[in-house]
Amino acid sequence: MAKDNILEIENLYVEYDTDDGVVKAVNGVSLSLERGETLGLVGETGAGKTTIARSILRILPVPPAKVTQGTIRFEGQDLGKISEAEMRKLRGHKIAMIFQDPMSALNPVYTVGSQIAEGIELHQKVSKAEAAKRAGEMLEMVGIPRERYTDYPNQFSGGMKQRAVIAIALACNPDLLLADEPTTALDVTIQAQVLELMEQLRDKLGTSLIMITHDFGIVARICDRVAVVYAGQVMEYGSKKDIFKDCRHPYTMGLFNSLPKLDKNEKRLKTIPGLMPNPMDLPKGCPFAPRCQNATEECMKGRIEPKEVTPGHFVSCLYIPERGMSV
Amino acid sequence: MSQTNQNETPILEVQNLKKYFNVSAGTLHAVDDVSFKIYKGKTLGVVGESGCGKSTLGRTVLHLLESTSGKIFFEGKDITKVNRHELTQVRRDMQFIFQDPFSSLNPRKTVGEAIADPLMLLKGEKGSQLFEDVIRMMDTVGLARRLYNTYPHELDGGRRQRIGIARAISVNPKFIVCDEPVSALDVSIQAQVLNLMLDLQEANDLTYIFITHDMSVVKYISDDICVMYLGQVVEKCPSDELFANPLHPYTQALLSAIPLLDIDQEVKHEILQGELTSPINPKPGCRFASRCKYATAKCKEPQEFREVSDGHFVACCGVTGQ
Repeated sequence: MAKDNILEIENLYVEYDTDDGVVKAVNGVSLSLERGETLGLVGETGAGKTTIARSILRILPVPPAKVTQGTIRFEGQDLGKISEAEMRKLRGHKIAMIFQDPMSALNPVYTVGSQIAEGIELHQKVSKAEAAKRAGEMLEMVGIPRERYTDYPNQFSGGMKQRAVIAIALACNPDLLLADEPTTALDVTIQAQVLELMEQLRDKLGTSLIMITHDFGIVARICDRVAVVYAGQVMEYGSKKDIFKDCRHPYTMGLFNSLPKLDKNEKRLKTIPGLMPNPMDLPKGCPFAPRCQNATEECMKGRIEPKEVTPGHFVSCLYIPERGMSV
Repeated sequence: MSQTNQNETPILEVQNLKKYFNVSAGTLHAVDDVSFKIYKGKTLGVVGESGCGKSTLGRTVLHLLESTSGKIFFEGKDITKVNRHELTQVRRDMQFIFQDPFSSLNPRKTVGEAIADPLMLLKGEKGSQLFEDVIRMMDTVGLARRLYNTYPHELDGGRRQRIGIARAISVNPKFIVCDEPVSALDVSIQAQVLNLMLDLQEANDLTYIFITHDMSVVKYISDDICVMYLGQVVEKCPSDELFANPLHPYTQALLSAIPLLDIDQEVKHEILQGELTSPINPKPGCRFASRCKYATAKCKEPQEFREVSDGHFVACCGVTGQ
């Protein structure tokens, strides 16, 4: 690799073995992230976004979850091959995660400050007092007065809790940050505050970021590259400009068309007919084929490999239009 | 609302509606002096952030919650004063679609049974008539007939929300309060459900109050929009006007906080500082003043909700009339 990739995911497959059958959550995902870059992972519920992030950190519940194939390399190191002890040194230190729900991501019986200090003390091998001092600085960095250090999570509002979770994630200055729908539980004015904060901190600390979201507005604002995920597969992958100005996959176009636009007056939204396929019984070929207007029998035959339509812009479709759609 | 409707009687008129809750810390002003009119076949969007009283407003309007004071006229009759018998009729005419299709359905009832309930209770239907009507409702909302005997947990969110819609429209209501009906759904399913709601509105001349926190959804579906902040309506005007010419500083901040799909435009985000203050024992002045960059001493006085241009109402002393 000529490029300085901090993370490389190759052909990742993850399954959940449940009583009802095998759920195929991630099916052959390959992604890479350049140092300092922000990658948006977009898709609907059940697309496998969170499973991808959790398999990077190796925090999937095993069993039922199982990585059946594929490698994840972080700074050249195969995360599948290192020991749990080594993984623990990376977790929260080099790779950190912001969880979706700030209400349940914090421990209610410890003070917010001590939860930030915990990681600092563990990973940076400093004294308790020093860790507490740095945790206080982190609180201030995310815009919470240091006096709130000894408060418990229930004394914080939703926006403040999410800021505290961000402070925990950034406390050890990670190289890679995984943000799983960090603003979904928040109101829009608070979301704007949190996004602004994440942008500032990312630029200041040079953190590489994977932003998991279902909101294309957030992608437009914060990401450099975008992967559109459907039923555990990457449908389209490219720069933000590729996706917003030249999108070629029928699913990506369908998603954009489903969104009510603020700058247009539409009488009816163009919808994608049908539902997501059952992950226990995925179609053999393209997972989107049953809902796709252009689908033919050819689409059902087997896995469709991504094609590079323009440099860096990959589309997994047999019938890629000559010209893309612009939002 | 356009002028053509000015002579009509509104289907619903709410006057100075208040709903207070007594909590240990004092009196929580969930809905505080809200007035509006809705005309038949129209949609009033109610937007605001969590805790602003949108859902309480919806529930109080339907008399699911007893109001503290104020009047609610439905087709000219004050429904806060009806007796039990009349309330059954009101329930038939005014229905509710709940936010969460996961917890608003009885897990022990099949799709067929869930849709049959309101038909039995409010219209007294039974036997083959009931069965036919349930099937007809399932067809109307796009639920396959084979799902008749399935349970809610077997279905996805979009289908569950369709059950909620079928239940609401089964008794031929004239008016429906929709409380965040699509916020639990994915975008591709959300678009299907929004289109269905518009189709039903056109076919049956339904009137909606549509409660949501999503500004692009509210613009798509509403004729008029009320913006709420801590229990009060701070701005009300036709949908297009609100997006073209927002006057209240809170509305402006709310609109600028939406992440847009446009990747070229360097949007200057107006980041609102601070967070919602408490609606418990609020002070008499403007409740947004503590976060407002234009706030002056005059904002400590009660704000008048006044019409500054045709059909455009705003509660802010800083806004000058045109």
